[in-house]
Amino acid sequence: MENALNELAHSLNTTITKEGNNFDAILTDSGTIEVMCSNNTEFPIQVVMTEKQILAVTHLFKTSEIQPNKLAELNTMLLELSPLVPLSSTGMQGDNYILFGAMAISTDIKEIVHELEVQAENTIDVLEAIEPLLN
Amino acid sequence: MNMSILKNLIQAVKGGFSEAGEAIVDSNLIRILEQDIRDDGDAINKAKRSLTNLKSTEINLKRKLDSLAQDISDYEAKTMELLDSGNEALAMETAERIAEIETDRNETKTEYDVLAKEVSDLNKLIKNRAKNLEKNKRELEKVKTVGELQKATASINKNFASTNSTGNSVKESLARVKEKQQKWKDRQQAGEWMEDESESSDLDKKLADAGLGNTSSSASSVMERLKASKKDS
Repeated sequence: MENALNELAHSLNTTITKEGNNFDAILTDSGTIEVMCSNNTEFPIQVVMTEKQILAVTHLFKTSEIQPNKLAELNTMLLELSPLVPLSSTGMQGDNYILFGAMAISTDIKEIVHELEVQAENTIDVLEAIEPLLN
Repeated sequence: MNMSILKNLIQAVKGGFSEAGEAIVDSNLIRILEQDIRDDGDAINKAKRSLTNLKSTEINLKRKLDSLAQDISDYEAKTMELLDSGNEALAMETAERIAEIETDRNETKTEYDVLAKEVSDLNKLIKNRAKNLEKNKRELEKVKTVGELQKATASINKNFASTNSTGNSVKESLARVKEKQQKWKDRQQAGEWMEDESESSDLDKKLADAGLGNTSSSASSVMERLKASKKDS
């Protein structure tokens, strides 16, 4: 898997998208690729792989960053938003709210690039939508 | 391992993160699933080998049954002929032969039926094992996905620990990224403005060349206008 991750990082680092964005992809100690797309250099995407899929995970915020009495409202909002966000879904791991996309392992690099670029944009959209509920 | 493990995985996801966000996947569960997948694969291969042997025996027996049935009908025809011609003694001898062949055929048929049942059982076993194999592969994929998600979470938590120590918040990050986007949009607008400007000055130049340009006002034309207005008043 590490080879595949290395290859993907290299491909991303040498790609410029149709919209003129580029990527900064590095392997982390945790065994992920951390990808920064030039359209959003504040919220990195963690990319991991299994035998069957490529997962792209962006950390949005922690539970503690939300006004405590607004958590239920936030959860409903994220569930409602999720189908509206192109290619990405909202989810939760531990106390981290995340935006994530899943692709088949056979996905073409062009599609991966597009998916990551869109996810970087989606991150800003989703955060703007829930901003009033932040601490 | 027949129950669905998604229910257990949600527990792993909820409780599976250490303070430092290190990945904790149930490696035991992965081992059990991988062993089950290997066992199913082995059982399927073994069953397929037995099936090949049984099937060739089954084909053999079927051929023997067909040939015995043919013999019986041949001897029956001959017995009828002998009876017609009144050769009772030879007809009796032929009938005894038919009875022998029939005994052989009945034994062979029993053997054949047992074998056919075995073949059908083996096919069922292969189908069931293959179903189980695919199910376990899917379950394994889920467990491994949890493991990979935990890696992503570990990386996220490390980032959070380092940015949080500098007092960084999601609000500030969002403000920064929006500011960058705005700057980018402003730059793009500036670029578009420049383009429009040079396009419109091109047009002005063309119009002036064609004698249709906005001629600048001159001192004499101002004087004429003022004199004219004085006359009117």
